[in-house]
Amino acid sequence: MTGFDIFAIAVVGLVILTLLAGVKTVPQGHDWTIERFGKYTRTLGPGLNLIIPYIDRVGRKMNMMEQVIEIPQQEVITKDNATVTVDGVAFYQVFDAAKASYEVANLTQSIVTLTMTNIRSVMGSMDLDQVLSHRDEINERLLRVVDAAVTPWGLKVNRIEIKDIVPPADLVQAMGRQMKAEREKRADILQAEGQRQSAILKAEGQKQSQILEAEGRKEAAFRDAEARERSAEAEAEATRMVSEAIAKGDVASLNYFIADKYIKAFGQLANSPNQKVVMLPMEATSMLASLAGIGEIAKATFGDSTAPASAARRGAVPNAGSKVPPPVPPQG
Amino acid sequence: MIDLLASLGNWNWLILGLVLVGLELLTPGVFLFWLGLAAFLVGALSFVVDPTWQTQLLMFAVFAAAAVPLWRRMARRESSGAASPFLNRRAEALVGRVFTLERPIVDGTGTVRIDDTIWRVAGPDAPAGSRVKVVKADGASLTVATEP
Repeated sequence: MTGFDIFAIAVVGLVILTLLAGVKTVPQGHDWTIERFGKYTRTLGPGLNLIIPYIDRVGRKMNMMEQVIEIPQQEVITKDNATVTVDGVAFYQVFDAAKASYEVANLTQSIVTLTMTNIRSVMGSMDLDQVLSHRDEINERLLRVVDAAVTPWGLKVNRIEIKDIVPPADLVQAMGRQMKAEREKRADILQAEGQRQSAILKAEGQKQSQILEAEGRKEAAFRDAEARERSAEAEAEATRMVSEAIAKGDVASLNYFIADKYIKAFGQLANSPNQKVVMLPMEATSMLASLAGIGEIAKATFGDSTAPASAARRGAVPNAGSKVPPPVPPQG
Repeated sequence: MIDLLASLGNWNWLILGLVLVGLELLTPGVFLFWLGLAAFLVGALSFVVDPTWQTQLLMFAVFAAAAVPLWRRMARRESSGAASPFLNRRAEALVGRVFTLERPIVDGTGTVRIDDTIWRVAGPDAPAGSRVKVVKADGASLTVATEP
């Protein structure tokens, strides 16, 4: 084997090795940094790339796709001293492979730590109620702070989401009790208000009805009074007319009226179906006695036959006394 | 070993070429295709002239090295016609688009809200709510100009 043989074999081996070392195919979604004598010189994009072997070397192979990292659970003390357990996720993308490779060591751990400390500071400045109800606000504040902080590393944090906020069990229980009590309070208040409303409505109805009743009574009393007035007026008129008539005529005619009314009254008594016993005051009987002939009429009335009564009456009237005027023949 | 190399005939070069091209299919991106082409060329030339096995090896090395400029030209032509040039280049895709400032640009930096995330932008001072156009993207930082 000659030296030329060995030389030929060595040349072929070296050429193949050099080609393999100099040709770099970078897959889509990745950027590779190139270091010349250990110093960063350029970045290879996706596709076939050529580097100069022996002096260039591939440094870091950086993933340029958006990536998600878990923010591990941690305990956070809120402004009002409640301890809650929080975890989350962060989405980031590398925009500058060189900065992400050389500006920061241990990229993901840096992001996780940064996010965790910022979660503590953001949530620590809020009350428990705010923490539980303002998740969007927490996410946005975190995003602003963390995104600004990672800018020198050639990254962009696109999104930070708080996944779970778990308050301690006894606090959850208390919150449940509070909610229940609040609902019960509302129910009680509503019920009481209903009762009040109904009582008011009932009382108002009663008042209205009483007013109406009283008004009715008042109206009735007014009308009664009016009627009495009217009847008194009529009475007065009648009396006046009678007295006028008496003044003009004989006083004895008065007796006729009295007797007439008396008899009519007795007639009514007699006609009432059950009344067969008539109580008469002593005075009345004496008056009856004084009015001779009226007794006869009464007898005729209380008696059974009508014919003798009318006969008696006809006969009685002239004997009734000097005061009784002669009968006025019925008119009409 | 030497006997094996010495016995390399034109057919063996062709077989080696086939094997290398086949291996390229199995492990893409490892430049075996060009080595395979070089082997094919050596095999083809061996039919015309009959060089010694050492010369054949050197020819193979020369052809393999010569494949590099050829391949470079092809690679350049391919990358210029990429199907989606902004793949993994999200910031560059925003150049030319107009957005509304979410926070004012004060001392050269402000924020805009794009695709439900916040981008920090650099540009001339402008109040919140004014319209800005992305003129340049460098990494994750956008440069904007105020849009009338």
